[in-house]
Amino acid sequence: MRPWPLLLVLLVALPLVAGVATLPPHDAPDAPIHTQVGARYLERGVAETGMKNLVTAVLLNYRGFDTFIEVVVIFTALAAVLALPKGSAPVPKGSAPVPKGSAPVPKGSAPVPKGGPQAPEPAAGSAARAARAREEERPEVASDVPVSPVVRFVVRLLAPFIAMFAVAMLFRGHITPGGGFQAAAVFAAVFIALGLALGQARAARLVPVDWRPWLQGVAPLAFALVAWIGWRLTGAFLGYPSDDHTAQEAMGFVLEVAIAVGGGVILARVFLEMET
Amino acid sequence: MLLFGLDLDYVAVVMLFCVGLYMLVAKSNLLKKLLGLNVMETAVFAFIVTAGMVEGGDPPIMVAGTSAPFASPIPHAMVLTGIVVAVSVTAVALALIVQIHAHFGTIEIDELKELP
Repeated sequence: MRPWPLLLVLLVALPLVAGVATLPPHDAPDAPIHTQVGARYLERGVAETGMKNLVTAVLLNYRGFDTFIEVVVIFTALAAVLALPKGSAPVPKGSAPVPKGSAPVPKGSAPVPKGGPQAPEPAAGSAARAARAREEERPEVASDVPVSPVVRFVVRLLAPFIAMFAVAMLFRGHITPGGGFQAAAVFAAVFIALGLALGQARAARLVPVDWRPWLQGVAPLAFALVAWIGWRLTGAFLGYPSDDHTAQEAMGFVLEVAIAVGGGVILARVFLEMET
Repeated sequence: MLLFGLDLDYVAVVMLFCVGLYMLVAKSNLLKKLLGLNVMETAVFAFIVTAGMVEGGDPPIMVAGTSAPFASPIPHAMVLTGIVVAVSVTAVALALIVQIHAHFGTIEIDELKELP
């Protein structure tokens, strides 16, 4: 075992420990985190935003721009995943021309060595041989092994309840811990569990192909819509009418639902794209 | 809880961070590196949320049944943002790793280095 990773970790750990030693105890009520702007949010958050869940209030109102860009970030991540070339087929052995849309191999370099017992190329190093040997030992674990009936049954049994939990998290999020992002994560978890237990093709049907572009982009679109409505109502981009609690709640509700649906679909789509 | 003048919760977070850092630098498997990165991210989120907690605090939700003191709402909102960024990074990295495996048949750094 090489020693330098441990040395590096120690080198990082010491300043970190020294740093946390200077912090106030984490549960002290007089720590700056409780006396600065957080105290103001606690004091006036409900009156100003109309949201009882102050985490949601900070997320959608006080720091709404942050959340707007955040849903754009996760949308961009999906775009990046989709933009990667679909290099599903491994480069066939001995074929000199690299298939269109596969990894950028520099011109003039040897063909990529890839599994296959045929004629070991002299260029392939020992590492590539080792990789090849490992491939042969465990060929394509992914879909050839049938899923245990126990797992399938349990997943099918629990999936509706987990999905219901996600819905409850979304619609009770204004008065209990929870909200759009949490619901999105649970939705995606159900989807991935179903995909693993019943097969990706079956799970993929849950997200209709025709709707996918809209569902994936629904969170940024909803933010843009609400921001525009807020602009018309108050003159400020993503502004909330401070005296109309019904409008505030409606805007927050639209955003939360859009985040839950959009985030869940984006995570599910990323999972679907992982299959090579 | 204090140990040698140190807040134990913060020390635990630092240790978790270091475990992740070790995975990131010491392992040659790309997937394990990514897991290490996620452990580091988890440590940072735990640190921020821990800092926002207060002795006997309730969640910052103003309904009947909760009473002061409340945990600070800002760390929760910021960690939510951080988690989304972490998920995005993980998604893109996983997709890249899948591509690397499809094209080179390995995701071990030292084997990838020896490829022509």
